[in-house]
Amino acid sequence: MNFFTLAAKNLLRRRGRTFLTVLGVAIAITVLFSLLSLNSGYEKELTKEVNSLGVHILAVPKGCPYEAASLVIHGGVIPKYLTASDLQNVSSIEGVELATPMLMHQFIRRDNKTGKDVPHVVFGIQIDDIKKLKPWWKVEGRYFTDNESNVMLVGRGLADKENLTVGATLPAGPFKDFKIIGILDRIGDQDDQFHFVPLAEAQRIFDKEGKVTTIAVKVKDVSKIPKVSEEMEKIPDIQVVTLTQIMGTIMNLAGSARSLLLTVIAIALIISAFGIINTLLMSVNERTREFGMMKAIGASGLDIGKMVLAETIFITFIGGIVGTGAAIVGSSLIESFVKGMLPYSPRGSLISLSPELIAFALVFSVVLGLICGIYPAFKSSRLTPMEAIRGGVE
Amino acid sequence: MSGIIEARNLTKVYRRGREEIHALKNVDFHVDKGELVSIIGPSGSGKTALLNVLGCLDTPSSGSLLLNGIETNGKKESDLVKLRRDNIGFVFQQFYLIPTLTARENIELPLLFSRKNGNKSRIDDVLQMVGLSDRGDHLPGQLSGGEMQRVAIGRALINDPKIILADEPTGNLDSATSKMIFQLFQQLNRQGLTLIIVTHNIDLARQAQKIYTLRDGQIVGCEDMTCVLGRNDIKMQQEVVLS
Repeated sequence: MNFFTLAAKNLLRRRGRTFLTVLGVAIAITVLFSLLSLNSGYEKELTKEVNSLGVHILAVPKGCPYEAASLVIHGGVIPKYLTASDLQNVSSIEGVELATPMLMHQFIRRDNKTGKDVPHVVFGIQIDDIKKLKPWWKVEGRYFTDNESNVMLVGRGLADKENLTVGATLPAGPFKDFKIIGILDRIGDQDDQFHFVPLAEAQRIFDKEGKVTTIAVKVKDVSKIPKVSEEMEKIPDIQVVTLTQIMGTIMNLAGSARSLLLTVIAIALIISAFGIINTLLMSVNERTREFGMMKAIGASGLDIGKMVLAETIFITFIGGIVGTGAAIVGSSLIESFVKGMLPYSPRGSLISLSPELIAFALVFSVVLGLICGIYPAFKSSRLTPMEAIRGGVE
Repeated sequence: MSGIIEARNLTKVYRRGREEIHALKNVDFHVDKGELVSIIGPSGSGKTALLNVLGCLDTPSSGSLLLNGIETNGKKESDLVKLRRDNIGFVFQQFYLIPTLTARENIELPLLFSRKNGNKSRIDDVLQMVGLSDRGDHLPGQLSGGEMQRVAIGRALINDPKIILADEPTGNLDSATSKMIFQLFQQLNRQGLTLIIVTHNIDLARQAQKIYTLRDGQIVGCEDMTCVLGRNDIKMQQEVVLS
């Protein structure tokens, strides 16, 4: 027998109370662990998404930069357009290695299985430029050329979801009878879900001849990005969005939501801490005579304090294990809840579990136990044997 | 002969608000090594207060107390803890066993505090000494009152103390069990242990070698039972005191 087994057995005396206290700690640790794993996962996924754009600067029509950032990454309809002259102006800026136009559009196609209308995103692109911007693209089948008609590439995720194969034709929608000539290998980002057609085809289908929604720019020297974007901003009607801006803008938005969650966690932890302290004080008050007996049979104040502290650490450590386990098991549920709260979420999994994070949550639960246990341990250790035997603690 | 306990002019005053309660008044108390001593007296006479002071659980308001030759006056709590740990075993009326620990673990508890835990053979010896060799793995809830008190006695014995202080050890037990517990005390005494027992039970008290009688915080009688055994006038005097 040692102090920990003694503490563990003491806790079993009030199973219901111990269970509820452990539950309180577990909930607090679940929330804490989830937020921390979401925080690192969010940044990781966001960085991945932004990097997968393969561009340094994006030129979009003037408007809300938040909306532009989101649309550029996730696709959608920007109801304003840039023109060929804008493209020419951008291309002529010193330091620009490549400027490629893109027309991004959304269309609705009825799902054959469910019968529901499903929104799809299509990009009109100039394939040679895109291959330079995204050299990691690999294709099953072949790429189209810029002047081909009725041809399409699709992302692997979309192909798998809709059972699309190379050589198949789309049965319905604005791209009816377009032939799928290639399926992109899975990349793990948003490109997996998109359709890609030659730019001219997209402009024809959506009746946007000569119009583009985005100009993706790659610079010759990344250190010149600020200078190039400054030059681009001089072009009327153009909103310049750099990678750093996209990241910064979204992280700012997410930061506000995170602050809110952090406040919730702080409150949950404080409530949980008071719950633990209350439980321990009750337990200490109920057991004063027993502590008196212990002092009589040779326990020092320090021994009693250590025992109470060990009980607290037990409660919080078990709460930490249960809470961390619950966070891991329920991560998808928590993720969908948090995604609903955030103004922008990357497509990938936001939960990033690491051994360091698990270790941190467990260490935190022990520290929480130490903090909560100090006062009850101090109080019990200070009892004189007589006070304790008489049960005279107030 | 120098006693294992030498108390001189012990006074203990408790304060309850503005009221002062004189629990002990100039008590002189002497116990020799290997003696079995009973302390009797009516409720509120100061028996438990005296026992607590003798066991260093409480400090006297004045007076001196030598325990195994060591002056306890002015000692720090940490020193008193060590003094208690090395010299005294306590037995309480309510047993104070930890319900989630087995008999064996309850007996082991003082070893944990004296950092000698893990001494299994010592625990086995003590279990055998108190007649509970086959009940070591039972929880207190599975034991009878007499068995629980035996566990408590085992717990008091485990650190090999020089003195056992027992406060109403048979107060919660029936007469047959009380007699068995007292027999256990006598057996331990025969092995050389010093025992001081506070009790209301005059029949059991009379089996000690010396009886101190307390009333209103003062010792009003000290009888050496090895000399007075069988004297009815002493028995009657004690019964009057207890009534």
